[in-house]
Amino acid sequence: MKKGEGPSDAEVVATILAGETEAFGIIIRRYEPGLLRYATRMLGSRDAAADAVAEGLVRAYRHLASCRDPTRLRTWLYRIVANRCKSELARRPTASISLDDAPPVPDPESVETTLERAEQLALVERALAQLSPDKREAFVLKHVEGMSYEEMAAATGERIPTLKMRVHRAREALLRALEEVE
Amino acid sequence: MKFLDPRVHRVLDGEEPRESLDLALRRQVERLDQAAALLASSLEQASVADRVMTAIRRPAPAHTHRFIHWLVTPRAIVLRVRPAWSLALAAGLLAALLLPLPESRVALREGEGIAQFVARFPGAHSVAVVGSFNDWQPESTRLEDPDHDGVWGASVVLPAGAHEYMFVVDGERWIADPLAERFVQDDYGRENSVVLVQPARVSHL
Amino acid sequence: MRLQLLLLCLASPMAAQSVRARLEGRVPAEVIPTIDSLVQTAAAESLPAELLVQKAIEGGAKHVAPEYIVVAVRVNLDQLRRARNMLVDGGDKPPTTAEEVATLNTALKRGLAPPTVARIVEALPAEPRSAAFHAVADLVGHGFDQDSAADLILAAASMGLRGERLLDVADKAILELQSGRGYTEALGTVQSQLPQVSTTKVPDPSGQAVRPVQQAPRSRP
Repeated sequence: MKKGEGPSDAEVVATILAGETEAFGIIIRRYEPGLLRYATRMLGSRDAAADAVAEGLVRAYRHLASCRDPTRLRTWLYRIVANRCKSELARRPTASISLDDAPPVPDPESVETTLERAEQLALVERALAQLSPDKREAFVLKHVEGMSYEEMAAATGERIPTLKMRVHRAREALLRALEEVE
Repeated sequence: MKFLDPRVHRVLDGEEPRESLDLALRRQVERLDQAAALLASSLEQASVADRVMTAIRRPAPAHTHRFIHWLVTPRAIVLRVRPAWSLALAAGLLAALLLPLPESRVALREGEGIAQFVARFPGAHSVAVVGSFNDWQPESTRLEDPDHDGVWGASVVLPAGAHEYMFVVDGERWIADPLAERFVQDDYGRENSVVLVQPARVSHL
Repeated sequence: MRLQLLLLCLASPMAAQSVRARLEGRVPAEVIPTIDSLVQTAAAESLPAELLVQKAIEGGAKHVAPEYIVVAVRVNLDQLRRARNMLVDGGDKPPTTAEEVATLNTALKRGLAPPTVARIVEALPAEPRSAAFHAVADLVGHGFDQDSAADLILAAASMGLRGERLLDVADKAILELQSGRGYTEALGTVQSQLPQVSTTKVPDPSGQAVRPVQQAPRSRP
């Protein structure tokens, strides 16, 4: 949330806890895109991601009073969704994911550029899918969701040195995968 | 294994400006930035807002409400044994079971307990539970939905222990229990749900 | 208010009838002899043969191709042997009962790794282990790693918790996880509260304390 745009998370949370259920819609609008993006990258499927995020948000609403620091609502939401993603991944026979139902959306540029972008994206997605869930999560939170290491620590419960190492390894693996094609 | 120059990591971690890098290293930074940008911008995904708001607007979770309702009207009890997410529910209902109730004493034998099966299948015409305890025969144990509100249930006396089961909807759709949190592979390519039946603590119900 | 319970009293699964009679009509006729033979083999090895009969009947009910039913029964026989061997290797005083083998087999099917199973067998030598297995499997099923899950449950067991209480411990950790705590934090929180595992004070699944909307009446005091 950018500064000056509407009420702070803490204010919205206070409103919800005072009985204004509908105010939770503000929270959803603010954080849903990032949570969906993250969950899709973790689970490899839009449908699974939608389920994980929807269930996570419902649970977040029901346990809103236990969010100890509403100013860190974002990381608290990520943690809830991350836990759901991990539970889902743990239930699968292997930790790898397929990206069958997450096709890239062509952007409104020339067809050539669109195709090129689609190919690039497919390449990156494949490389990402080959990472272990820990490294995949770390890369997504850092570089796609733009979290600081402190925020990532709060969202995952991991120590910062551990997260840094995972991000570094993820970068190396991705770069290697991208450069192999050249 | 090829490692990245630590300076690349420092730039990407925001600890140093990218101008401090030579061209080759800067190219690596840019490739990773591009990859991240592609990942960030590529997904258009339908919002889950409606789904979430509908779920939270209910006065109580559908399950809790319907279970309590189920208890106070004369019909089969609908409960589940020990699902992690509804501990409070199970505790509340177990307490209700402990209230003295006329004409409802059932003598459970040593080592027996009650397994309670419940599921939401709105629009279904029949729902049965099949499992190791009834030779997986759908005709054997039908669930009831007397309210016609899509919540089906039955309770079954079973030996204490673990039992594998599934639901059969409309006689043809075999579905693992959507509310169960315990699963095992069935060795036929699917999953069975698992219920743990506890020996009853009270000698009468 | 009257409550009526709908009950099915089920015959004991170990009813005395021949295996073939039970399979007839439930399993494709052409594979009944093979399955019968596998079941007899299991019985001769003092393994819980009834589980194989049930697995075959399950395959028949699910309309699985006959050859796959045979494969599944063979696989399950091997699994039972593996479970029995784990018990014996773990120093279990023979004879291991068919029931113990069945319990261990279920634990392995629920995803516990053999080292985890071995740890529990060793830690609870004379105890009913079923609840411990299921409690650890519950945690593993929610993403906790096997060692940490076993640590928590065995710690609880060492404090005298048994049976359903061990399942309560696992449930508590899972609830902590679902409230937004990390895995390590969830385990730590529950561990620090042992041997207290309250099953009455649990988060209200319908929401937090401050809720002006109508709630379904709770029937407990």
